[in-house]
Amino acid sequence: MMRKYFIDIYKTIWSILIGMRITFGHLFVPAVTIQYPDVKPKLPERARNRLYVNMDDCIGCLQCEMACPVNCIEIETVKSLPTDDLGTTSTGQKKKLWVTKFDIDIAKCCFCDLCVYPCPTECIKMTDVYEFSEFDRNNLLYNFVTLTKQEVETVKAKAAEFEKEQAAKKAAAAAQAKAAPVVAPAQQSPPAQPS
Amino acid sequence: MAEISEEIIKTSTGTTLRHEEMVINMGPQHPSTHGVLRLEVVVDGEIVIDVIPHIGYLHRCFEKHAESMTNYQQVVPYVDRMDYCAAMNMDFGYVLAVEKLLGIQVPERVEYIRVIMAELQRIASHLIAAGTYGLDIGAFTPFLYMFRERERILDLFEMTCGARLLYNYMWVGGVSHDLPPGFIDKAKDFCQYFRPKIKEYNDLLSYNEIFIKRTANVGILPKDVAISYGISGPVLRGSGVNFDLRRDDPYSIYHKFDWQPEIGKGEVGTVGDCWDRYMVRMREMEQSINIVEQALNQIPEGNIASAIPKRIRPNPGDVYVRTESARGELGFYVISDGSGKPYRIKARSPSFVNLSVIPEISRGGMIADLVAIAGSLDIVLGEVDR
Repeated sequence: MMRKYFIDIYKTIWSILIGMRITFGHLFVPAVTIQYPDVKPKLPERARNRLYVNMDDCIGCLQCEMACPVNCIEIETVKSLPTDDLGTTSTGQKKKLWVTKFDIDIAKCCFCDLCVYPCPTECIKMTDVYEFSEFDRNNLLYNFVTLTKQEVETVKAKAAEFEKEQAAKKAAAAAQAKAAPVVAPAQQSPPAQPS
Repeated sequence: MAEISEEIIKTSTGTTLRHEEMVINMGPQHPSTHGVLRLEVVVDGEIVIDVIPHIGYLHRCFEKHAESMTNYQQVVPYVDRMDYCAAMNMDFGYVLAVEKLLGIQVPERVEYIRVIMAELQRIASHLIAAGTYGLDIGAFTPFLYMFRERERILDLFEMTCGARLLYNYMWVGGVSHDLPPGFIDKAKDFCQYFRPKIKEYNDLLSYNEIFIKRTANVGILPKDVAISYGISGPVLRGSGVNFDLRRDDPYSIYHKFDWQPEIGKGEVGTVGDCWDRYMVRMREMEQSINIVEQALNQIPEGNIASAIPKRIRPNPGDVYVRTESARGELGFYVISDGSGKPYRIKARSPSFVNLSVIPEISRGGMIADLVAIAGSLDIVLGEVDR
């Protein structure tokens, strides 16, 4: 019993010495700690941090909104008039919709990168900006729309007016069709169908 | 709940002592419970009479969330968050399940990339397990050294997919990015760098007399108990059961590599004690390095995106796929009703099952040993609660 006691003491001291040898060896190894706020690590090319949307290229297709698993992207679009020219994206696609709302709640974002892949014009992407903490949660609601509030309203009003006009035209056409005598060939479709 | 008995003890001098059991709570904010786990401990002095684990503090309705997604791919970020210490392994299990449901054969390069990532992640996860275990026992230095090594693995992941912890890297039918240029050399460098480090940790921690005194012959989990509780992973192998799904139910391309599972042998104590469970992880890291090195040497060229389906719409049916995650048998049971989103996903998480054995193996031990036992099971509460 006594012997075991001393053997234990010997073993403990010995293993402490072994540990000390290893830690002493590490004294001469260059430090790996990055002094963060002063020194910033270089992020790789594929780093996934804050989302950024290049609105010049956005065609309002809602693909990213549908891909998001946490519903942090909210997009609203308004149809443009046939007379409007919204320009083309850098990939040569013609823009047909006014994007009147493109909000990303970055506080909800889970940085999964799923919104980036379906984008047909590659306008939504993850950047390497990682320092964007805020004291107020509302500041994390990013608004990417380039239109001003006034512009959004005029666009919406125009679209509504256009729709009304179209509806009126349609109604007029329908009324005209009704007023006109029934055209016989219109009811003559069944023979065309193969049996 | 255990009943608290109260009895009066007469001492030899004739005075009476009141004797009662005490209930104390360990957690949910206890640093040694590795997360938000509450252990209700019934103690008699310093002896543990019973332990009742209370879980659910981190419950996030993963399974219900999965049902409300619009497609199968959107579940992957949620799967990541199950076991945040080994997110790649979680992704791996899930995508294998959906691929089996769809009947997709992925390109060989993808298989290799996945195995490399999963094994690197296993090393990273075991480094956390061993490092924090040392921390629980009272050794601070190995913890810092192990996190330094883990950092290099995370750098490899970040360079591949851009994320450091929750990757969303494995997709149904493929992976999100191909390996970046320079990855293979960097990974080989890491393997070479890491091999001697394992010996260093063994000297520093594993064979340290104080560490052995704290862990050997503590929390002994016999073979039969382990099997009857459904324990899996390093905990099961620590009890001397030679069972590893990578070898016994090979998935992906694990049959191509030359390696063998490590089992506990009871070198410093009894088979199935805390030290054995810990040591199995240390030795598994070496096996993982073997697999990674072989995979890096054999990896073929090819297109990684060729098998990614445009629209994931499996036929009605169900499938169960099990993989060996860093903590044990990870199973995904997926039911499809033929629509674009999963009808039901059930995850069989290894930590949850492994945790259930805590009362069995900590009865009759000391309170201080409870910390050693909980640490040696290596539970991740994100996975226990899901």
